[in-house]
Amino acid sequence: MAERLRDRVSAVWPPTAALLGLFALLEIAVALGWTPITIPAPSAVAMEFGQSGADLAYHIVPSITATVAGLAIAATLAATLAGIGASWRRANGPVMTFGVLVDSTPLIAVAPILIVFVGGGMTLHIIVSATACFFPLLIGMSRGFRAVEATADELFHVLAASRWQRLVKLALPSALPYIFSGFKIAAPLAVLGTLIAEWMGAERGVGIMMIYAMFSFNAPQVWMTIVAVCLMAIGGYGAFALLERAYLRWAGLEEAPT
Amino acid sequence: MTGIDIRGVTKRFDLDGRSLTALDSIDLSVPEGSFAALIGPSGCGKSTLLRLIADVFAPSEGAIAVGGRPPKAARLNHEIGFVFQAATLLPWRTVRENVALPIEIAGVTPRRSPEALIRLVGLQGFEDAKPAQLSGGMQQRVAIARALVLEPKVLLMDEPFGALDEITRQRMNVELLRIWRESGTTAILVTHTISEAVFMADRVHVLSANPGRVAGVVDVDLPRPRSIDLMKSPRFNALENSVRQVLFDDDTEAESTPERAHG
Repeated sequence: MAERLRDRVSAVWPPTAALLGLFALLEIAVALGWTPITIPAPSAVAMEFGQSGADLAYHIVPSITATVAGLAIAATLAATLAGIGASWRRANGPVMTFGVLVDSTPLIAVAPILIVFVGGGMTLHIIVSATACFFPLLIGMSRGFRAVEATADELFHVLAASRWQRLVKLALPSALPYIFSGFKIAAPLAVLGTLIAEWMGAERGVGIMMIYAMFSFNAPQVWMTIVAVCLMAIGGYGAFALLERAYLRWAGLEEAPT
Repeated sequence: MTGIDIRGVTKRFDLDGRSLTALDSIDLSVPEGSFAALIGPSGCGKSTLLRLIADVFAPSEGAIAVGGRPPKAARLNHEIGFVFQAATLLPWRTVRENVALPIEIAGVTPRRSPEALIRLVGLQGFEDAKPAQLSGGMQQRVAIARALVLEPKVLLMDEPFGALDEITRQRMNVELLRIWRESGTTAILVTHTISEAVFMADRVHVLSANPGRVAGVVDVDLPRPRSIDLMKSPRFNALENSVRQVLFDDDTEAESTPERAHG
């Protein structure tokens, strides 16, 4: 126990120390006037969190909603398409082509066109967020649905398992590690998608708050929104990483087989 | 009536539009409660034959009866236990949960508990271990316990100890004979080791390759229970040589008449 704690501490302190050191240097550089005005002191950004915290909370709620909804819609669509691709081999090619097409769409260019159709509200944010994170989910699920070993498949056949038993007792547990890998990549992309969409137009959202702060030359507030978006992305990644770790530990599997 | 009868069975596979004959008019029968070994060079279709009996594939021609009924009926009635070359355990399940898998799928209450089967294969104390914590030999014991938990009338084994080292394999063979005697099932063992086939079986069926045919049969009249010491006896060596003779004869014959082999 003590050893594990020591391991954890020794794993955490070098990056923490490096980050704190960087902040300290930046603080000094700003105090000495070496930096352009677009780079505020870390302490100023921290104070901005205190002053505009309520504003940030007001704007971040719809951003989180759009991100979660986008991720959920993309996951549902990816699961459906990957399921079709896995159970019907001839559909796999078209499914993957569609995935690549969606992935190679430049969101910055397409979002303004989308505004024409759906307006600049929450619907747009969710669509762009879902588009941004769709491809890694599709890859993870397609790979996962194929992860069942051939002999395990034969075992379930000889045991006369029903389709449902095969899905629940074999296919899903085999697929989960790959699906988690997909989600870990997808979650930060969904945050990015929401941000891009909110730049195009929003009444509430971290993206629009960032734009307002930029136009009013409020550098600490711009940086506060940037940090907030980073935290959202890290939070999304971290949530799935924790879920994955808990699952792998419970399942007695090795770390991510990506 | 739980013997296995195979009559005129041919199995063809389609490979890139070409028809490949894996097994050609196989006649073979295994009496109830006996132990049969299938031996032959790789590509002789011995694993395919095992899968035909287990209703993984259907034969192209001919008929198979498991206890007088088609394999599909036997499979759906959970009368077939199958042990693969790899243990094929579900890594997220404990030993107990892996052994209990057939019970969950069949939805029945078995006469013998998973714990009793785990004791039978000598793994008491490891009930809550995950497969990754076990050695290869122990994993294969779990697979055997799983195959036997529903007391199948037929136990099919596809080179179950092929991946184990020689010493572990001989120990496992002695164990398997004990387990087989206790369970009273009809057993078929696919192997490519002559001594293993002779040591385990009442009758060794020798298959030849391209296409798979029954090249000959060697009856093993060694007394049971059998122990490792038996392998040193002249009778054992004579039986080994008989099997070798059938395997080897077929080989030279195939070489002297290549057109038949490719026919």
